[in-house]
Order: sequence, then C-alpha cells, then structure tokens
Amino acid sequence: MSVVRLIFAEISHRKLNFLLSLLAVATAVALFVGFFTTGEASERETTRLMRDMGFNLRIVPKETDMERFWAQGYSEQTMPEEYVQRFAAKENISYTHLLAALQKKVAWQGRQIILTGIASQEVLPGSEKKSPMKAVYGQQGAGIQPGTVYVGYEIAKALQLKKGDTIDLLGATMTVAACLAESGSDDDIRITASLRDAQRLLGEEGRINEIKALECLCRDEKVDSIDLLRTQIEEILPEAKVTQLRVIAKTRESQRIMIEKYLAFILPVTVIVCAAWIGVLAMINVRDRREEIGILRALGYGSLRIAILFLGKAALIGVVGAVLGYLAGTGLALRVGPGIFKVTASGIAPVASLLVWSLLAAPGFAALSSFIPTVTAVTQDPAITLRAE
Amino acid sequence: MIRFEDVSRIYRTRRGEVKALDGVTLYVEAHEFLVVRGPSGSGKTTLLLAAGGMHRPTSGRVLVNGDDLYAMGPRERAAFRARNIGFVFQMFHLVPYLTVLENVLLGGGVAASRARREEAVRLLERLDMRNRESHKPAELSAGERQRTAIARAMLGRPNLILADEPTGNLDPENARQVIERLSEFHRDGVTVVVVTHGAIADRHAGRIIHLAQGRIAREARPG
Repeated sequence: MSVVRLIFAEISHRKLNFLLSLLAVATAVALFVGFFTTGEASERETTRLMRDMGFNLRIVPKETDMERFWAQGYSEQTMPEEYVQRFAAKENISYTHLLAALQKKVAWQGRQIILTGIASQEVLPGSEKKSPMKAVYGQQGAGIQPGTVYVGYEIAKALQLKKGDTIDLLGATMTVAACLAESGSDDDIRITASLRDAQRLLGEEGRINEIKALECLCRDEKVDSIDLLRTQIEEILPEAKVTQLRVIAKTRESQRIMIEKYLAFILPVTVIVCAAWIGVLAMINVRDRREEIGILRALGYGSLRIAILFLGKAALIGVVGAVLGYLAGTGLALRVGPGIFKVTASGIAPVASLLVWSLLAAPGFAALSSFIPTVTAVTQDPAITLRAE
Repeated sequence: MIRFEDVSRIYRTRRGEVKALDGVTLYVEAHEFLVVRGPSGSGKTTLLLAAGGMHRPTSGRVLVNGDDLYAMGPRERAAFRARNIGFVFQMFHLVPYLTVLENVLLGGGVAASRARREEAVRLLERLDMRNRESHKPAELSAGERQRTAIARAMLGRPNLILADEPTGNLDPENARQVIERLSEFHRDGVTVVVVTHGAIADRHAGRIIHLAQGRIAREARPG
C-alpha cells in the first residue's frame, strides 16, 4: 500500500478537513497574489499621482544664483541638453524620470509669460529606453508635438484662445494644442512648447536650464535624502546642482511608508492566521487518526512513513491551494484592481511568475504549519491507542 | 521464540506508580499456541505489546527469535515487526477509508507487489472474505472485520501472531470462528499468543498462563 494511495484515500474520506485546509492555503496565496498583482499598479499609480503634483527635483547648472533662481522661477544659466543622458547609464540612483527643460520669462502680447520647452522623452536611469512624456506639468495630454503649444489659463482667458487657434509666438506660428485649466500657480502664465521649438524661439539651440526629475522611491530611509541626492549629482553631473521640493518629497515618502506599513501589517497577520488555521486542522486530523497511526506502527510503519503521510498531505494541500489561490488572487486583482487604481488600470495583468512562487512557497508553508501536528503523530505512543478498549 | 527475562513495566500516574508487569520471566516456544488469561488490569495487554516491540519495559529484556527487541533502534524494530509479527486487536483497528483488500495489504510493511496482492486475495478466500474485498470496514459485521484484521496480520507470513482479546467484541459464533482461524494458522506452523478473559481459546491452547497483578500466577497445559 503506497503512501500516496493512503494520502488520497484519507483525503477522500475526510473531505471537510481537506477543504478547510485548502481554503486556508488558498486564502493566504490569494491575498499575496492579489496584493502583488495590484502592488505594481499601486506603485505606478503613486508615481503617476506624485508626478502629477510636479517633479520634486530640479537639477540646474552649478553656477546658478539660487536667490535669483527662486525670484525668477528658473535658472538664468544654461547647460548642454545632452547632460541628461548621463543619467541613462547609471543604475540604482535616487533620480528617475529625468526630463530636460528650458524656460524663460519673455514679453509677449504686452504681458510677461513663461515660455517653457519640454523634451518629448524622459530618461530612465539604468536603461537605454526612454519613456514618452505623457503628463505635462500636472496636466493631461500626450507629449507636445512640434509646432504646437499648451497655453496657461490666464493667457488663454485674456487672449480668448481656444484649442486649434494659431498664435504668433516670437516670430513663429504655433497651433494651440490645449488651453489648460486654472492651476493656481505660475503655470497659468506659461506657454509650453516642445523643447526643440522653445530652444529655437529663445535662441538657445542645444541648451537647457533645468532637468526636472522625480526622486526614486527606492532609497534607504536611514540616509538623509538631500545629502544622498547631492552626493550622487556630484558623481554623475558635477556641472550641476540639485534642489528638492521638500513638501512634495515628504508627501511621496509618506505615501510610500503608509503603503509599506499597511502591507507589513496585513501580510504577516494573514500568514500567521492561515498557518494557525492549518496547524489546528492538522492537529485535529492527527487526533482523528490516532487509531490509524497506532495500527500502522504495529504493522511496522516507521516514523518517516508516518511523517510523510501528514507532510505529504500538507504538501498536496499546498500545491492545490497555490493554484486555486493564484487563480482567485489574480481574478480578484483583475476585477477589483481597476476600480481602485483608475489611472493605471490597464497595467494590471496576471503575473505568471507569482504562480511559480506560489507553487514553491505554499507547499512549504503548509508543511511547516503541519510540522507540530506531524511531530505529535510521529511521537505518539501507539500502545496507548491500541490498549484502549 | 519469545523470551521475557525479568520484565517489569511501571506506569507512573498522578496517584502513584502502577506495576503492570512485575518481574515476568516467560518462554514461549516456536509453534506454540499460548493463551494468556487474567482479570482486567492484570497486565495481559502490556505483556502482549511488549512482546510485539510496541511497549518498552521499564526493566528486563524481551527477545524474539533471539533478538533483543528493545536493543534495536526504532526503525530496525519497526522493520523486524513488519517481517515477523502480526497483530490482531479487540477493536480490529481497520483503517476506515480503505477497502478490505487495501486494509489487508497494509500488513507486512513491505512495498506492494502483484505477489502480495495475490497472497492477500488468497488469505481473504481462506477467511471467507473474498466477496467483501472491495467493501469498507463500516459495511462489515464485527466478525468480518476481525477476519479482515486476521488476514492483515497474516500477510507476509509472519511467524508470530499476537492477538489481544480478539473475540472481545464478537458474538459466540463469530468468536468461535475467529479462534478456529487462528488455530488453523497455528497448525500451519505459526506461533500464536492470545490474550483473553474467557475460556473460549482454551481447547486450542498448548499452554495457558494466568496473570494477576503483573505476575504469572499459575500455568496450565490442557489435555
């Protein structure tokens, strides 16, 4: 009589115990899979929302007079546009989503406006890939096409501009791609064009005066953020310096810590509850099978075979629970996730590697949870049950 | 075959120590049919389990076929038991989720093979259980359950059968049948030790020992 046959026959006999144990494993796996499947979307969503608040790092030429920078709102110095590419070759740095920009106050139509040029692609450190620039200064819209501009609220209102109008901007004819909603910031007096157009209009071909960036969420909490940023900029781009918009940085960090703490609480609690659940069920199973264990002992079954009966069953529960939990967790993430993470909903997709991890971890988890009951079964004195009359 | 050398077994309870076996010295010859009788608590079951390597004595030695059972490691003792000893219990102790045939195949402790399966079927035939081989224990009468347990004990042709009150849960007719079956195996050369309250096995016994308070009180050879 093989141990495998014994395991399957016992499962078929005590279906409720098996189903409840399976439910425990599947629940644990489903929660993990659900969290991880939506976790990436959550991170992207946080990044997107934070980016929509505005980039929180501003890299400017080193010689910039910071008093004038804050008074003007931009650096009066410029630097070569290709400086931004130095970040592409770097890995594990605190800068991400780097975007070259050139901006200057100019007189136009009898008023002061800020003309801003934005590169069409962001630089992602550690990758030769470039990400299309989709969000512009907290506003909707895709990358700015050459020959088009986004017009700030106050300008559009004063000049009664609307989408599709053409304007003469410093001698060039530009089409209004969008008139932006009121922002309550200097964006309301800004005209945003592509970097190429802005460089041409301002006579600064190949030059930028700022690299906007997001601070990576992956840094070590113990290290002071601005110190690390300054150390890194010294290594990557010594011709520049960095300022950090503390309010935004703090908000981003608070958001990250909140999510991390939430997961750090919910996941271990889930694991412990499910492990206890499996352990109790396994202990009940051992009690139910005392007589069987006793007779198997009498028939010459050793401790190892008895242990395999219980651990094998636990491993089987783990494998089946992993598959069911993966399906349930993924289904839940696909069904509920888009409602929570509206901006990055399309990015929520099944993660096949989680099935592999579940299949590796869940049987071990179930076996570990059944360890004490198994030891109880193995060390049980068969004489006690066999003597009972 | 079985040798008990000054074997004692003491249970420690809240109320103090209980001597289940108290310096028992006993020799059971090969091919003997031994009946062990005595009142409840006299140490009969403890003696039987000690002989089967299931219950380590507090002191003394138990030898089966010349091997000291409790000098062996647990794994070696389990393997020895699987090869040499078959158990039959009052409560049958059949595994409830296995069929009759599968319960029989649990015996002998070695891997399943076609030969073992054929042997199991032959045993069931001999015990008039062939037509019940695919039934579960819950579908059997008490007598059928005990015959299944005897078939299980006999699989692998052990040379020693230890039966603890095998008729305790049976009506007189089934009890008689069970003892007859054990006697048949004895006639085939198997050593049989039967622990019982009553006198039902006496007429098959080569020897009867009476236990009282963990000691052999008297010994008789019927006929």
